[in-house]
Amino acid sequence: MSTMTVKVRVWRQPSPDQEGRLVDYAVDNVVADMSFVEMIDVLNEQLVAKGEDTVAFDSDCREGICGSCGCVVNGVPHGPGTGKTACQLFMRAFTDGDTLVVEPFRAKAFPVLKDLCVDRGAFDRIIAAGGYISANTGAAQDGNQMLIGKDIAEKAFDAAACIGCGACVAACKNASAVLFVSAKVAHLSYLPQGQPERTRRVVRMVEQMEKEGFGACSNEGECEAVCPKEISTLHIQILQRDYLRAVLRGA
Amino acid sequence: MKRILALLSSDIGRKALMGLTGLLMIGFLIMHMAANLLVPFSKEAYNAYSHTLTSSPQIYLITLVELALLALFAGHFVTGIVVTLKNWGARPVAYQRKDPAGGPSRKSLASSTMIYTGLVMLAFVPLHLATFKYGTVYEVATPTGEVRDLYRLAIEVFRNPLQSAWYLIALALLGAHAWHGFGSGFESLGVAHKVGLRRFGQALAVILMLGFMVVPVYVLLGGGAS
Amino acid sequence: MILDGKVPSGPIEAKWNNHKDHINLVNPANRRKHTVIVVGTGLAGASAAASLGELGYNVLALTILDSPRRSHSIAAQGGINAAKNYKNDGDSVFRLFYDTIKGGDYRAREGNVYRLAQVSVDIIDQCVAQGVPFAREYGGLLDNRSFGGAQVSRTFYARGATGQQLLIGAYSALMRQVDAGSVKILPRREMLDLVMVGGRARGIVCRNLITGQYERYAADAVLLCTGGYGNAYYLSTNAGNCNVTAGWRCARRGAYFANPSFAQIHPTCIPESGTHQSKLTLMSESLRNDGRVWVPKQGGDKRSASDIPESDRDYYLERRYPAFGNLVPRDVASRAAKAVCDEGRGVGATGRSVYLDFADAIKRLGEDVVRERYGNLFDMYQHISDENPYREPMRIYPAVHYTMGGLWVDYNLMSNLEGLFVLGEANFSDHGANRLGASALMQGLADGYFVIPYTLGNYIGGTKLETVTTDHDAFKEAQDSVDKRVKGLLAANGSKSVKEHHRGLGRVLWDRVGMARNRDGLQQALKEVTALRGEYQQNVRVVGKGETINKQLEYALRVDDFMEFADIMVRDALDREESCGCHFREEYQTEDGECQRNDGDYAYVAAWEFKGRDKEPALLKEPLEFKSAELKQRNYK
Repeated sequence: MSTMTVKVRVWRQPSPDQEGRLVDYAVDNVVADMSFVEMIDVLNEQLVAKGEDTVAFDSDCREGICGSCGCVVNGVPHGPGTGKTACQLFMRAFTDGDTLVVEPFRAKAFPVLKDLCVDRGAFDRIIAAGGYISANTGAAQDGNQMLIGKDIAEKAFDAAACIGCGACVAACKNASAVLFVSAKVAHLSYLPQGQPERTRRVVRMVEQMEKEGFGACSNEGECEAVCPKEISTLHIQILQRDYLRAVLRGA
Repeated sequence: MKRILALLSSDIGRKALMGLTGLLMIGFLIMHMAANLLVPFSKEAYNAYSHTLTSSPQIYLITLVELALLALFAGHFVTGIVVTLKNWGARPVAYQRKDPAGGPSRKSLASSTMIYTGLVMLAFVPLHLATFKYGTVYEVATPTGEVRDLYRLAIEVFRNPLQSAWYLIALALLGAHAWHGFGSGFESLGVAHKVGLRRFGQALAVILMLGFMVVPVYVLLGGGAS
Repeated sequence: MILDGKVPSGPIEAKWNNHKDHINLVNPANRRKHTVIVVGTGLAGASAAASLGELGYNVLALTILDSPRRSHSIAAQGGINAAKNYKNDGDSVFRLFYDTIKGGDYRAREGNVYRLAQVSVDIIDQCVAQGVPFAREYGGLLDNRSFGGAQVSRTFYARGATGQQLLIGAYSALMRQVDAGSVKILPRREMLDLVMVGGRARGIVCRNLITGQYERYAADAVLLCTGGYGNAYYLSTNAGNCNVTAGWRCARRGAYFANPSFAQIHPTCIPESGTHQSKLTLMSESLRNDGRVWVPKQGGDKRSASDIPESDRDYYLERRYPAFGNLVPRDVASRAAKAVCDEGRGVGATGRSVYLDFADAIKRLGEDVVRERYGNLFDMYQHISDENPYREPMRIYPAVHYTMGGLWVDYNLMSNLEGLFVLGEANFSDHGANRLGASALMQGLADGYFVIPYTLGNYIGGTKLETVTTDHDAFKEAQDSVDKRVKGLLAANGSKSVKEHHRGLGRVLWDRVGMARNRDGLQQALKEVTALRGEYQQNVRVVGKGETINKQLEYALRVDDFMEFADIMVRDALDREESCGCHFREEYQTEDGECQRNDGDYAYVAAWEFKGRDKEPALLKEPLEFKSAELKQRNYK
């Protein structure tokens, strides 16, 4: 297999309170079947050989489902192409001599910890505020007692497919978390199990989202375009309707 | 009131308000534009229309409508500015490189510049009111009596190329604002995004823009010469 | 020494209920006075932490990742088994129990497996209540699919992302407890030592992966829910951060490690494409429901798949195992793939892959149905391989996937160290020598939702626990030893990266302790592993500092533990002079190349006790009795 060399301009920032900057590296022996994160592995092996600190980035499952990886490649979260995470971005998307600008997800609510690692704890706090159905262990009725039409189950799954990577926030010019929040709200709002807490859930999740410092939705749909799971912005209207209804009814 | 305040405590509520006010203003602009289209056809009809609006007893209703419009305008701008400032604060460190994502994204030049086109409107509307509503009052005799000759004022204003140019630019920006604003406004109110609705909004934006441009262009081309 | 699994007496179907009826309880008002540490937040950890939080315990939940939602349970695709018999096809608790025991080639503990089958039905109900969007039929009932090793349809699924959906369910239950104040999540923390006080597990020392600071946490019990150690092989389907460290650190403190050589090689993975490869991607075994596995009849057949006529194809699973066909258990399917590739009939550039062909399914069901069932898997395959599986067959090859071995636990899921409980893949108890598909999710959630809430109460309610704080000398000692390791690795300044060392270890394990093992190879491996371990200490280079995020250091610590751990993997494989499940000793096979078990001598759990670095570990045995599932040769023909 033929190899290529790519130039990588990657954000280096030693710690949250230190300044960061883009640093240029050349990475040799890149092959088309390599994923983007494997290319960064190769870069890091080069850095180890030189005794320099490696580029810190989060990565775990490397099959596009855990949502750990995420950085902005050439101005697009998770890089060029649709429906994939950075670990599923393959170097065949690039050609020999290309320059890749690699930056962390940027948002006030996602502070940079080091290099490409950011703190996405805000997402967990939003879920803790209401992104659940209160069902204590052991108290459930038989799973088939509640009939849920195939179409409803499918719609709920479409929303539940969110992997919480934060690319939606990273892509949005306002660093808005509305797609993430709406995916969770919609997932539970579609299902009969989710009805009892529907109002409380949406109000509390939106309140927490406000506190975390995300921006507002401008209905541009950049979020959907970069979403690895191609979560539809249609869920956003479920969030808006549920929220507006809840607030106007005085919840 | 408590509920309205609760609504205003979140971006979703603020954006809903912004969408609602924007859409209502578009509704007003449609009527405004339709009336303007009388100019090239009939000086008398145009003046009669404006006279009717400002005669008793309609004037009371119109004043109410004007107050409502002022409220819409103010509400739209205040929420717009508040939300924009917050949005800017949501990303304190900018990307070194940021590209449009493409695909299903609806991002456009119009959607990226809403605050700027909006700020131009903020400047434009008071000037526009000063020029026309509170501008020189010419009178003209009609079979039913003396009425304000708004037609003459319009012709005079737009005969000035600088004024016309400013209006054409402002109207283009208004069109851009409505291009994104119409569909977005509905979405902010919880109406599911539909391509058809968005396209309709964009068509409406173009029609509004072109419709409003008719008068200055008509005058620049020599129309209304006495 | 003989180990006692403490399985309650009585008929197998009554054991668990009797046990629950007689164990100790903790008064609701007292529960919040008890702190429980849960290490790991995958399905087992999240479900345990959430359930214990609901009961009122004060729970600390650690994850090495930035959020509990990312734990590797998320990657399980195919489904979760439960003996619901919704399909009316003859399923029952006993059948699920029996299939699991048989699938595990009679090397699992009967009592635990029966309990697993019993609580499996409750898991589905629990998950539905949480809003897990399981696949449904048009009428609104839950849908099922078939999985390997079973002749009934008992697998519940949510498209190809069942693990993700179940984990999100458990994660949201967990976050609900965070909101309620009963659980505190400690993200980006790695447990680096277990603290023993008075012979009981009373806390841990972990490293804060952001600041590099050591943190001490004291508790009344420690629950290890840290998953499997497949990454010992370097390449596996595991996530990059999966490791053996927490388990191995407990083993160094005296916990026994059971059946460490039992590593499942999954038959349907995307084949390796080059040395850059950092992981192997699994394609759900559910694909074998509709895909047909084949290779050319003749070796060296270089025609493309579509040019090979039916008469020149060998559907070797259907040919060798007509009753189960493409749905034979994983170990059988993996070895069969290895066998045809060893014969030179493998396909693809490397010759190390076989076809998984959907042409018939697409013809029979239509492309839309196939897309609905497997769309995301097909997309994933296409993303990675750049080949369109709707047009040409997928190429697959086995890869290390799941480790049945783990810390030894008794029926209560407590290790031999009092107060140390081990749940999910991290323990050894339920899958014997081979795990059936869709059973890992089941076990993780069974342990976390339905077993530990009872058995932990039994321990805490029945034990007098004196107050222990993190000022105790044992914490200091543990922290000092961790610090010494960290400093040692950072100071080594050798010439090879951690990754290179790891790759070397992986090669030895894959070649010698992989799909086929033999005495000579294992003895050789023992020497090689010792040598690699020595070289690692001398020659590893770890860049960066200790007081910040340092992924190289994290990795180095984990590989250090893999290096030590590999020793007992090899010894375990060497000790077991029989073939069973994943453990295929070439010396012990039937005439047609199947596993030849030796129940007379090896029907035991091999539990290894660490005796010191470079010292021979001690082997302890827990004899296995089969009273309910008759011991017989597995036969999938």
